[in-house]
Amino acid sequence: MQKGEMYVGWSTKEDVRKRGGSGGLVTSMLAAALEKKLVDAVVVLKKINEFEAVPIITSDVNEVLNSAGSLHSVPSNFAKLIADRNLKVALPAKGCDVRAIIEQGKRNAINLDNTFIVGLNCGGSMHPVVTREMLEVMYKIKPEDVHGEEIEKGKLIFETKDGKEHAITIDELEEKGYGRRESCRYCTIKVPNNSDIACGNWGVTGDLVGKATFVEINSEKGAKLLQNAVDAGYVQVQKPDEKGIAIRAKIKGVMEDLGKKWKGKVFVPMDNRLEYFRKELEHCIDCGACKTVCPTCSCGDVSKCTEYHFRGDAYKMSMYHLVRFLHLADACIGCGQCSDVCPVDIPLTRLYRMFANPVQEQLKYEPGMDLRKPPYFEVKLNE
Amino acid sequence: MSFEPNILTFCCNWCSYAGADLAGVSRFQYPANIRIIRVMCSGRVEPAFILEALNDGADGVLITGCHIGDCHYIDGNKNAEIRINNTKKALAKLGFDKRLRLEWVSASEGARFAEVVKDFTEEIKKLGPNPVKEVKINE
Repeated sequence: MQKGEMYVGWSTKEDVRKRGGSGGLVTSMLAAALEKKLVDAVVVLKKINEFEAVPIITSDVNEVLNSAGSLHSVPSNFAKLIADRNLKVALPAKGCDVRAIIEQGKRNAINLDNTFIVGLNCGGSMHPVVTREMLEVMYKIKPEDVHGEEIEKGKLIFETKDGKEHAITIDELEEKGYGRRESCRYCTIKVPNNSDIACGNWGVTGDLVGKATFVEINSEKGAKLLQNAVDAGYVQVQKPDEKGIAIRAKIKGVMEDLGKKWKGKVFVPMDNRLEYFRKELEHCIDCGACKTVCPTCSCGDVSKCTEYHFRGDAYKMSMYHLVRFLHLADACIGCGQCSDVCPVDIPLTRLYRMFANPVQEQLKYEPGMDLRKPPYFEVKLNE
Repeated sequence: MSFEPNILTFCCNWCSYAGADLAGVSRFQYPANIRIIRVMCSGRVEPAFILEALNDGADGVLITGCHIGDCHYIDGNKNAEIRINNTKKALAKLGFDKRLRLEWVSASEGARFAEVVKDFTEEIKKLGPNPVKEVKINE
């Protein structure tokens, strides 16, 4: 197996295939890596209920196998979990997770040589609280009755415990303000080609639909990971057909165009920008939650922005956020976690992206996509 | 009464501060709108300083340092240039980019220092007061 090759694969374990989405390939691959001592630990999501899960670092193969099952409503970012721990680790990651891990790698918090990143195709994730509200308002079902959820042909389908399926199109949901998180709507990284191995169900054709995962190997490490799983007997693979590859490329293109369209819709040019920022930041209580979750931030507990955690500094406009706007202008990956955790519901990701978009466009720099150092560091000495 | 701006000026210890000193000793006339803070190097001026000044109601921020190649710390002013330019790009979102300027003034350029200050003051006067100042608290 080599870089650039594509495969269609599924787990050999009956139990994982049944519980996991798309043939359970990712779960089996992670379990195999742990079993064969390719890595010391694996990061997985431990399910609490249909809407919530906590990320855990585990060395127990059974725990990894038990974690099978995809969740669309858990937008947690793993980068900060494994930072500064010096672990040999394999972990599943959405596009934004991958970018965050690479950014942390540039800041020497994660050793990328020891990190196996299993990228997952991601069309967007949903906020648990918003999802619960959506179920009650739009679907008219109780959140506790939900048994499973699925996205198919632009429709979000919830299955209740009595076996009934409830489907509403995502466009309709998003018009009403529910559905995917805002940052996911204008995200354009749908297939994480910056990861070691990109997995997803796009491009699986014929009888295998829903029972297999399409895999694209993006690096040597990814090839090693898949080869190891095949050798260990956890995973079966076969070559994909031409039609599947074409379908995958088409879905990718459509999703990315949709993301660009949303970007134009969300970031409309405005006249009184200062007033807008002041009004949005007015309610900030300086709790620092946005900094705590920010996956690219690596200054530590005492940093430039936290020095302004006093209301005196924010009597006209939050200095804490102004410093962070500048600091993240070349590092923000738009993962949307700051908006998720904000206790006073400031649309922080939108504000951060308003600064980051023009800077990153002008500097032609996309954080987390490759190993290029941030432009601030590109100072050449003795020139 | 006409608008008299308050301009915060950061001068580097080795060139620009001496340049400002020379401007005073040589009796070059320049507007009294600037307030000088001496820093050891223009590279010491962080974006946070600029933000805090603008947020507290300064109408403009002028940063002066040694000419490229003359820095006492070899490449401090190169760092400053990159830093200030990036800050400027980001500040454009708040409409503050024209209120920030970076200039090189050497120790022997007293006349130039006066000229730079005159020019920047004129520009700020045209821009008008800092909009942050008009924000009413507890409205």
